[in-house]
Amino acid sequence: MEQHYGKTEITFAALAGVLYTILGMYHIAEGIGIDIGIYEGMAGSLFIPGDILGGFCLVVTGGVFLYGFKEMMQGINAGVSFLYVGILMSLLFMMVYLLIMGGNLLDSFIVPQDYEGWSIMETFRPGIYLGILSLAGILYWKDRFSLNEVLVFREGA
Amino acid sequence: MTEKITVALAGNPNVGKTSIFNAITGSKQHVGNWPGVTVERKMGKRKHKDIEMQIVDLPGTYSLTAYSLDEIIARDFIIEEKPDIVVQVIDATNLERNLYLTTQLMELGTKLIIALNMTDLALAKGDSIEVQKMQEFLEVPVISTIGSRGGGIEDLLDSITEEIHRTRTNENVFVYDGEIEKSADELGNVLADDPYYSHYPSRWFSMKLLEGDENIIKKAKESGNYPQIRKILQRTDADSFEAKIADQRYKTIQTMLRQVCNINTDHLSGSDMVDRVVTNKYLGIPIFLSLMWAAFEVTFTFATPFMNIIDIFFGWLAETASDVITISWLASLVGDGMIAGVGSVLIFLPNILLLFFMISLMEDSGYMSRAAFIMDKVMSKIGLHGKSFIPLIMGFGCNVPAIMATRTIEDSRDRLITILIAPFVSCGARLPVYVLLAGAFFGRDAGIVIFGLYALGIFVALISAKLMRSTIVKGEDTPFIMELPSYKIPTLKGSILHMWERGKIYLKKAGGIILIGVVGIWLLASIPAPGSGGTFASEEIYGTTDSMIGFIGQIIEPLVAPLGFDWKIAVALMFGVVAKEIVVGSMGVLYGVGDNEDSLTEILAAGAMTPLAGLGLMVFTLLYVPCFACIGVIKRETGSWKWTVFQLLYGTGLAWIFAFVLYQVGSRIGLFA
Ligand SMILES: Nc1nc2c(ncn2[C@@H]2O[C@H](COP(=O)(O)OP(=O)(O)O)[C@@H](O)[C@H]2O)c(=O)[nH]1
Ligand SMILES: [Mg+2]
Repeated sequence: MEQHYGKTEITFAALAGVLYTILGMYHIAEGIGIDIGIYEGMAGSLFIPGDILGGFCLVVTGGVFLYGFKEMMQGINAGVSFLYVGILMSLLFMMVYLLIMGGNLLDSFIVPQDYEGWSIMETFRPGIYLGILSLAGILYWKDRFSLNEVLVFREGA
Repeated sequence: MTEKITVALAGNPNVGKTSIFNAITGSKQHVGNWPGVTVERKMGKRKHKDIEMQIVDLPGTYSLTAYSLDEIIARDFIIEEKPDIVVQVIDATNLERNLYLTTQLMELGTKLIIALNMTDLALAKGDSIEVQKMQEFLEVPVISTIGSRGGGIEDLLDSITEEIHRTRTNENVFVYDGEIEKSADELGNVLADDPYYSHYPSRWFSMKLLEGDENIIKKAKESGNYPQIRKILQRTDADSFEAKIADQRYKTIQTMLRQVCNINTDHLSGSDMVDRVVTNKYLGIPIFLSLMWAAFEVTFTFATPFMNIIDIFFGWLAETASDVITISWLASLVGDGMIAGVGSVLIFLPNILLLFFMISLMEDSGYMSRAAFIMDKVMSKIGLHGKSFIPLIMGFGCNVPAIMATRTIEDSRDRLITILIAPFVSCGARLPVYVLLAGAFFGRDAGIVIFGLYALGIFVALISAKLMRSTIVKGEDTPFIMELPSYKIPTLKGSILHMWERGKIYLKKAGGIILIGVVGIWLLASIPAPGSGGTFASEEIYGTTDSMIGFIGQIIEPLVAPLGFDWKIAVALMFGVVAKEIVVGSMGVLYGVGDNEDSLTEILAAGAMTPLAGLGLMVFTLLYVPCFACIGVIKRETGSWKWTVFQLLYGTGLAWIFAFVLYQVGSRIGLFA
């Protein structure tokens, strides 16, 4: 049977999987109050909040990518499904975080008195910058996602 | 002259019956992906070529046996009310399963037309279906349609008008093996002797008797020659006949399918690929949970600015009202009662709408049935199955439609348990109470507290199911089949419509029962308590212990005092039975939000209540007596006051115990102090 994926797919799944899992665990650690930063203020510079549930979601996304990586390494054709769904999930979470940012921004116009000294970057999250990776992925593989009426993935590679 | 006919739309769940119904009748209705939304009979009218058609949207069924309420409703309608024509809507991407129902409809001998729906999806998958050949094979008209976009509807209507004047029935198209045919013939002769049966299609009736259909056997028992029938049936083995009949039906279908279509199997479809991931043994449940988190997160943060807008608006409205109205008691009724009460409920509209919108997206995309599928394992641990999970999730919006959606559950005991536990799923109406209290007491952690309450609701529901299953509602596990419809990109219009259908209920409540509720509360808060000597609607007594409301509150206060609640909370809870949002509305009145610049949140946070009692109040609100509408629907669906009262007592008892333990233990160990 023809193989439906190549090195790019495998590398992407591994990279995204590791990044999402590690940063997700970092969220959880911050949420519990364990400092795992390598240097002073590392969490801040990576925009990582203490957020157990949000961290859990990133870890799950990472898990999906890693599962795909595992299956593709084993030569399972359908393993590529995990890559595609992982991309969709990470874009979904990116959208969620952007909506949260937008909601806060909007709110800061409506009740400015509650937002003195606040900056929009306070709501910037790893879910957003990690999503850029998936955005690149979906553009790279755009002919495999067809989003009209029905979701169809076409084989490639 | 116009002719009047009745057209019934039949078919499996989720094949697009309601979409086609809407496209034909033009009525605005719920279009969703929910197995079982079409539990009630929907009727509509359409005139086409001088024929006045009455269209009926039947519940979705996989077969016409008597295993579920839906199936009985659908088949009784066809047999008893004899529509002039039945249109079976078929999902072109799942022909085999859908055609099984066709074989049964054909035996009913009604005029049948097939609407081959979802042809766009079949095409996208790379399948090709030869409609002409299929039509010849089945000897019924087959029309290609795309229900969601109204494609092929005119052709379908044309076909109905043509078919209505043609004389033809489709009995006997399926020939079974010798033994079955022989017994069916014998039964047919007996049935022909008694005019009682002339009402039923005889071949179908005979086959159902042979399959051992209880509902049909019951009907046969009412006739004089039942003994003869029994004699024939005693010679046969219903179980093996049933299996053989089903087997032969499938064989015929497969033979036909090989000739009429070419199903593309050499690639995994998008739906299959997504399903591999979201129903994965390890990842399925975590993915579901993270999607729920996303839905809640968006609901809460994105709704905030809109809530603030509404808040500002009502603040302005109350101020304007008190400026304009010079009669002081009227100003108080309008300002403190109506505007403050309705305002404190309406402020949650953005939350409710956003949550419903998220749920609609999950339903309409097809994900929700996967959620039910992956939860099946968890559900079977408590003695229910995935099918019960769908109504429970729906309960996050409102428990009333959730309880109605239990009609798709075949087993009556499974259904009863699902109805009894459904009110524990935290509905949209309880959200305002949480948002208010969690916001006041837990600030930045409000999200986690609210999430925890939802989780507690589910936990209590599951544990209760397990308890009931092993004590008062014992029963066997029944096997079931759950169909996973293809994924679809939900349309914005569809999801908004869907959200609106449910959000409307909330709005109507705010304008109706809640308005009446808050006016009632205002009256009680303004009427002086017996013996207090105050004057009606004076500021001195309003909402205090010198008012009627205070009087009542103090009488019932001892009941809830061990939970850390004062008389104001006692009154709010009492009124909350009308609708749970009223807990917020009446607190608005009792804590005088209308008078005060400070909002209710600030008053509470400033110490009107302890955080621990606040948490207890949220838990109590979650679990105690459901609202009036919900009580009504429990009574209607269980058909029993006994079970309805049981639910009320059980829920309130649990609520009391939970809040009691929380408060007593919590205050001793200094929780949130
Ligand atoms: N792509 C596509 N979707 C459809 C078609 N017909 C209906 N749908 C969608 O299928 C889902 C279920 O439709 P619905 O009418 O509620 O099915 P019912 O349960 O049989 O009444 C909805 O999301 C519809 O928008 C169709 O022909 N093509
Ligand atoms: Mg329907």
